[in-house]
Amino acid sequence: MKMLNVAILILVLFYPSLSTKWPTHPVCKENDLEIYYKSCDPVQDFALSIDGCSNILMNTFNIRAATVLRHNIKELSIKVNLILNGKSILEYSQKLCEPNGRRFIFCGKKKGEHIYYEGPVTLGIHEIPQGEYTVSVMLYNEDHLTIACADFTIKKK
Amino acid sequence: MFGREGLSFPTCFVQSLATLFLSQLMASSLNPCVEEITNITYRCMELNLSGVPAEIPPSTQNLDLSFNPLESLTSNYFSAVPALRFLDLTRCHIQTIEDYAFEDLHNLLTLILTANPLWHLGSKAFYSLTSLQKLVAVEDNISSLADLPIGHLQTLQELNVAKNNVDSLKLPKYFSNLTFLQFLSLKSNKISSISIGDLHVLQGEKGRNLTLVLSMNDIKYIQLGSFEGIHLHELSLRACFENTSVMKACIQGLAGLQVNRLVLGEFRNIARVEDFSNGLLDGLCQVQLQEFVFICFQRFDNCTDTLFDCLVNTSTVRLVDIYLNQVSAVPTASRIHQLECRTCKFSEVPALKLSSFKELRVLRITKSKYLTGFRQKFMDLPNLEVLDLSENRLSFIQCCSFYLDETPKLKHLNLSFNSVISMSGGLPLNELVSLDFQHSKLDSLGTVPVFLSLGKLIYLDISYTNTHVESQYTFCGLDSLQVLKMAGNSFKDNNLGDSFTKLTQLLTLDVSSCKLIQVSLSTFSSLGKLQKLNISHNKLLTFDHSAYKPLQALTVLDFSSNQLTVLTEKALESLPSSLVHLDLSYNLLDCSCNHLSFLKWAKEHGELLWSTELMVCNSPEHLKNVSMLNFDLSSCQLSAVLVAVYVGTALTGVVFLFLIYKYYFNLYYGLVLLSGCRRYADRDDTYDAFVIHSSKDIEWVRKELVETLEKGVPPFQLCLHYRDFTPGVPVASNIIHEGFLSSRKVIAVISNHFMESKWCSFEFEIAQSWQFVEGRAGIILIVLEDVDKVLLRRKLGLSRYLKRNTYLEWKDREISRHLFWRQLRTALLDGKTEPGRGGN
Repeated sequence: MKMLNVAILILVLFYPSLSTKWPTHPVCKENDLEIYYKSCDPVQDFALSIDGCSNILMNTFNIRAATVLRHNIKELSIKVNLILNGKSILEYSQKLCEPNGRRFIFCGKKKGEHIYYEGPVTLGIHEIPQGEYTVSVMLYNEDHLTIACADFTIKKK
Repeated sequence: MFGREGLSFPTCFVQSLATLFLSQLMASSLNPCVEEITNITYRCMELNLSGVPAEIPPSTQNLDLSFNPLESLTSNYFSAVPALRFLDLTRCHIQTIEDYAFEDLHNLLTLILTANPLWHLGSKAFYSLTSLQKLVAVEDNISSLADLPIGHLQTLQELNVAKNNVDSLKLPKYFSNLTFLQFLSLKSNKISSISIGDLHVLQGEKGRNLTLVLSMNDIKYIQLGSFEGIHLHELSLRACFENTSVMKACIQGLAGLQVNRLVLGEFRNIARVEDFSNGLLDGLCQVQLQEFVFICFQRFDNCTDTLFDCLVNTSTVRLVDIYLNQVSAVPTASRIHQLECRTCKFSEVPALKLSSFKELRVLRITKSKYLTGFRQKFMDLPNLEVLDLSENRLSFIQCCSFYLDETPKLKHLNLSFNSVISMSGGLPLNELVSLDFQHSKLDSLGTVPVFLSLGKLIYLDISYTNTHVESQYTFCGLDSLQVLKMAGNSFKDNNLGDSFTKLTQLLTLDVSSCKLIQVSLSTFSSLGKLQKLNISHNKLLTFDHSAYKPLQALTVLDFSSNQLTVLTEKALESLPSSLVHLDLSYNLLDCSCNHLSFLKWAKEHGELLWSTELMVCNSPEHLKNVSMLNFDLSSCQLSAVLVAVYVGTALTGVVFLFLIYKYYFNLYYGLVLLSGCRRYADRDDTYDAFVIHSSKDIEWVRKELVETLEKGVPPFQLCLHYRDFTPGVPVASNIIHEGFLSSRKVIAVISNHFMESKWCSFEFEIAQSWQFVEGRAGIILIVLEDVDKVLLRRKLGLSRYLKRNTYLEWKDREISRHLFWRQLRTALLDGKTEPGRGGN
């Protein structure tokens, strides 16, 4: 009986984290550069690919990303966090969509709509430093509800 | 034992798993939805439901059933919730909506059907939705507007059929019933051409309020005349054309259109039109436009475009995210009133070119990280009222007389969020009403008065401009100023001083984050009209009531994030009665019982105080971070029982003392009796005292002395010559035997009569010698009246005795009498014994 209780306890403790674990997807796998990502949105996973990993070292590269919206995005903001050894060393945030100036095709879309974005992304850095680090990217709407969330693991030799 | 456990573990696991899922299942069946407002709003998103949950009450108005596998909506599907006003059926896998599915939903205003693979819609599917205003059918597999059975929805205002397979703009006849329709989106459909007759139902004024969104359709061809005679509120055609020539041809196809707002352009990630060649927008010459919005267009061949050529009669032009780095040629007759360039690529304010827009009233060039220079001046813009150059990276000197002296009507100037602006020579803008410099670094403000000619200015924002106010004349000339925002600056000596004495019309003042440590007594003396004061985020230690006293019109006071410990009683009294909002959060509040009046006040004025949860105690140590309003006042007050005990004890003590005082002699006498002291038992003391007095004072002796002492408590036995002397015995013998030898004490009643009497002198002398022989104090002198000093001097012995000994004085007043009797009794009690024993 005791054993049963312990088992239940362990299961209850681990069940939520088990249910929110999404698989790790590879984005790049080249000789000197490996990039993986994992969705950190407890509700859903999303799809992402980069056209040619070698381009990532150049200023601008093309990405394709797709997800289903769980909330309206009248406004959309992005927050990028560079994490090294568990410590956040760089934070960057920007508004992508505003109700008055919808620059991107997905701006203003509503809950339930499918988003597919194909376009250029500018990193604004010229070189990826060596080492292994995590980049956490979060997209949230005007009510601070998570639209998409991903942790990228970057390994550069 | 171990083996058994090893065997039973998987069983346990399975059991526990089953228990867990069962419990989850039970929980979800008991309470499947999130109740946001009881009986009104329920959110049942993604709960694997296959219908409206039975637990949803019939009064529900807002129901979110999105991401549930409902599959098909049969008739009367929502009859359990007839009060619905908002229904969200996003991604519910709905393929079929049968007739009368929404029966009874007469109040429904919004129906969302986003992303459902509809293939069968009953012709009466939307019946009884008699109030429906908004229908969202995005990503619903709709291939024709005519398939939608919505012709009877006369109240419909918004219809969104974006991202479907509609391939024709041909609006069916039923649109003529939808007289309230304001918004129709056909974004991301498959419309490739627009022909004459497509918009026939909108002919005349029927589309006057309609916003038509056709963006992201791959339009190849618009037949000339398709829009002839059509009047729309807004037409949006973003990312519709695959190249420059198609775009040019299609815009020409808009001829005859009358529209309040036309939106053209592309998106950041969709840029298919190669360049802005000459004549791209020529077609607009045949369109009647009020407002033209050009958004996300990247390829300009500079100086060859003809952007404004056909916008002559347009009153408003907005260029958003346009890669334009020079202003195109401006036609001479341009009537543009309002021009906005947001996120354009100018490197310098193109003031000279823009000065060609002679009718310009509003000019905004904002949010450009490339815009750094301001060198040209605006030439003769007689109507310019609003100039907004905010959120650029401008840095320039000589603000602003040089650039703006030919804009006489300028009322609003916004230079906020720029780099460095150097003010010199003042601002000769007599008509200016509002001026915003916030977050731009300002040079040389604070030392010289630069606002002298801004007598009409009402609003001034110089927050975070790095201004250091040194001179009290900084704000001279701002006679009409009502709002002054200057957070994040600094003042001389960190003291507000007399900076605001000229601002008598001020209603709002923000001096937060100004490193203030002090407010002068005279700072606010002329701000009698001030309504809102923000003095938060400073280092103020006290709230000096006399400094704030002139602010009698104040309604809002933000004093948060200072170092205030307490509001004194005087400060609380001086708070203006008009105050409705007081913020004292993030201060170093002291919650010790010394400030009970402040704590009490705070509790009683909860509606006045804001952010009360952040009003936490800083001291004493054990109350740190306790919310001040949760502080228990009773811990400062003594309990009622304790108070009663204290008062009771004190009262008893007083009564006890009073009783002792009153019955001193009775008690003392009793004590003497009890003690049974027999020191003088061998003596034959019949009397307590022998009274020597003149026979002329017999009246007083009888009335006062005998009456009081013999009849009082304790009773004293007096020896009186007229009463107690044995007859037949010589007077002297009587005096010796009955008087001195039988009495413990002698009372001498001194008066003028006494001194005249020979017997009295004799008796007094004997008393003195008797006292000497006995060796104890036995004579009590009572001076009855003011004695004749001459007479006294003659009686040498008596006058000497009076000088050396204490005596009692008789005065006919209540208090003196009381004291007199008290003292006399005390003297008589000395050596008194129990009468019975003493006698033996």
